[in-house]
Amino acid sequence: MRIPSFAASAALTLLFSSTAFAASDSDIQAMKAEIQAMRQTYESRIAELESKLSKIESQKPAGQQAAATAPVSARKPARTIRDNSFNPSVGLILNGKYSGFSGDSSEFAGFAIGEEGERGKQGFGIDESEFNFSSNVDDKFYGSVTAAIVREAGEDKIELEEAFIQTLPGMGLPKGMNVKAGRALWTLGYLNEHHSHTDDFADRPLPYRVFLNSAFNDDGVEVSYVLPTNFYSEIGGGGFRGDDTPFGGASGGGFDAWSAFARIGGDIGDNQSWRLGGYTLSGDAGGRAGNGETVNFTGDTSLYAADLRYTWAPTGNPRAQEVMLQGEYFWRSEDGTYEDFAAGTGAAGFDDNARGWYAQGVYKFLPQWRIGYRYSRLITPDVPLGLLGSALDAGGYNPDAHAVMADWTNSEFSRVRLQYNHEKLTRGRNDDQILLQYIMSIGAHGAHKY
Amino acid sequence: MHRMLPALFFLGLMTAVPLSAQAKLNLFACEPEWAALARELGGDDVEIFTATTPRQDPHHVRAKPSLIAAMRRADLVVCTGASLEVGWLPILLQKAGNANTQPGGAGLLLAAELVPLLEKPVRLDRAEGDIHPEGNPHVHLNPHNIALIAQALTDRLKTVDAANANAYQARFDVFSQKWCDATQRWEQEAAGLKGAAIVVHHKAFSYLLAWLGIREAGVLEPKPGIPPSASHLEALLQKLTLSPVRLIVRTPYDPPDASEWLSQKTGAAATVLPFTVGGDAGSNDLFALFERTIALLKGASGD
Repeated sequence: MRIPSFAASAALTLLFSSTAFAASDSDIQAMKAEIQAMRQTYESRIAELESKLSKIESQKPAGQQAAATAPVSARKPARTIRDNSFNPSVGLILNGKYSGFSGDSSEFAGFAIGEEGERGKQGFGIDESEFNFSSNVDDKFYGSVTAAIVREAGEDKIELEEAFIQTLPGMGLPKGMNVKAGRALWTLGYLNEHHSHTDDFADRPLPYRVFLNSAFNDDGVEVSYVLPTNFYSEIGGGGFRGDDTPFGGASGGGFDAWSAFARIGGDIGDNQSWRLGGYTLSGDAGGRAGNGETVNFTGDTSLYAADLRYTWAPTGNPRAQEVMLQGEYFWRSEDGTYEDFAAGTGAAGFDDNARGWYAQGVYKFLPQWRIGYRYSRLITPDVPLGLLGSALDAGGYNPDAHAVMADWTNSEFSRVRLQYNHEKLTRGRNDDQILLQYIMSIGAHGAHKY
Repeated sequence: MHRMLPALFFLGLMTAVPLSAQAKLNLFACEPEWAALARELGGDDVEIFTATTPRQDPHHVRAKPSLIAAMRRADLVVCTGASLEVGWLPILLQKAGNANTQPGGAGLLLAAELVPLLEKPVRLDRAEGDIHPEGNPHVHLNPHNIALIAQALTDRLKTVDAANANAYQARFDVFSQKWCDATQRWEQEAAGLKGAAIVVHHKAFSYLLAWLGIREAGVLEPKPGIPPSASHLEALLQKLTLSPVRLIVRTPYDPPDASEWLSQKTGAAATVLPFTVGGDAGSNDLFALFERTIALLKGASGD
């Protein structure tokens, strides 16, 4: 580029100097302008030709290009991978944990919980290893499947966490609207729609464990709509089969459960962001088992939740330092019958509510290092006479738990975390837990939500 | 039935919200340099939203709520591409549900697709760090790239907002003339830098160095996106003892400790280049960005 442009200007300069003797000042000015114009034309032509040339070069077979640029030792055809143009993106999450517990059980006073809500295995073991396949189906649909391989009762089982289709903007729905159908981690609070490998702690807070058995991923359909406002606001709702906690034993007659949500969010200056949401999820539980099938609930259950998340980058660059505050509040109202087979209560009427919340703060003080603290608490319901002495009878005790963690993130694909929990889930029984966890991601790794 | 009431309520709300009519073209720029270019070409005909500040590393931005709202109202999106925004742009495009700005359409312009890319990796392996399969995405610090991208952006503005096509063309004609003159001036001013050697924090300046003929004598990051390690800095120090450099440069968002350490050990000046428009007090448009950058390079290297 330099040589041709230099040659061009040299030629022009020569032309200019040889004719300048007889010219007046105004002529000189005019010619100068003309030369300037010519020069620009050349410059832009050259730039254009260069870009054409480079385009042609980049279209050459990959082997040729590598041969031209690669050092002699690496002179073999380079593989070009372009997000597997027509094949689905494939991603794997590898997840392992060492857990040490001081208590011998993790029963929650006042709640009969599902298996996922219990604490993990003692000792070293792999956690959920996830496989994800996702791709645009065509111009109107996107599809994604996430399967987790888990060990339950001594056997490796595949659990279908998500298998959904979602509309693309090419569908022609109103601007801002999305429809999702299948099985998915639905919009409910903050953590529910996130895969657990993106969590800031090694386990889920108490309200998620008792109210949602870790996460609500029933089969269903959800519509969401980002409103045309200057700040972020979104509303939506869904209908679900009613098989997953907090429901169970779906009637199969259509949708047994319904949800609705509304969210708003925005920025405060350049370095702070927030989001606030309100959610409902309610339906019929045709038979929800808990405490290893020894407790059964049948009836109406409604869950109301609120979440708030706030992030602040003190230096302006969240990559370097960031403070993340997050909290969620759950309120569950149930009207139906509980039965504790182990305690032989028989079916006992129940109409009361339970609450739970957690609040956490995570501070990234160096680009690769973070520390965090989380407090979670449950407020148990008063049980009716028929359930006195059953697993649901907390005797007025409200479980709570503290967690502190430190993690090291080598790259966005690998993280190692040490966590200490102090859980007081039943009166007079403390459980001190040490968790050492790794989370690694291979292959395609989708962008993370806020 | 009462369970469906909240859903019905929201459906009602949804249909009640009026669609606001916007007179100006809404342009969403992923980085400040594209916002600045859009300002040159769009003038008063465009309303510009800039997703990142000069202090933010555009590789690592959260898909935060405000960005979803801005993406939803965008008529034209201008980003770097080449996987620079891979951690956040796809989620914005999906979540905003805006058919105008989808990949492949006129409403999404990716600058890196318009210019020849440097440093295309031969070996695609994550053990190599945060590499971009397409090549180095930081294309904007070569003014010849800006000229090409300005042309393409003008075409897009004319397509998306045909009513103001003449105004965009007129602004482009003025801009490209000024830009061409300025480019030549900068090339003359920086001629003395040719052949000089500098150390960079991240490979964010490759296009600038290639344009000015400056040699990159070392990178503080052992691999792209991996923070400088003690062993790597020690090795770099050994290398620089044998062949000294006068300058260690970084962007406003790179942490200062590694370059300050190396600067103390070697005597080379550690300098923050503005990197993008607004990156320092003086760099308030694209012209000033290049002027400041060249002045800083010349000043610190004693040319």
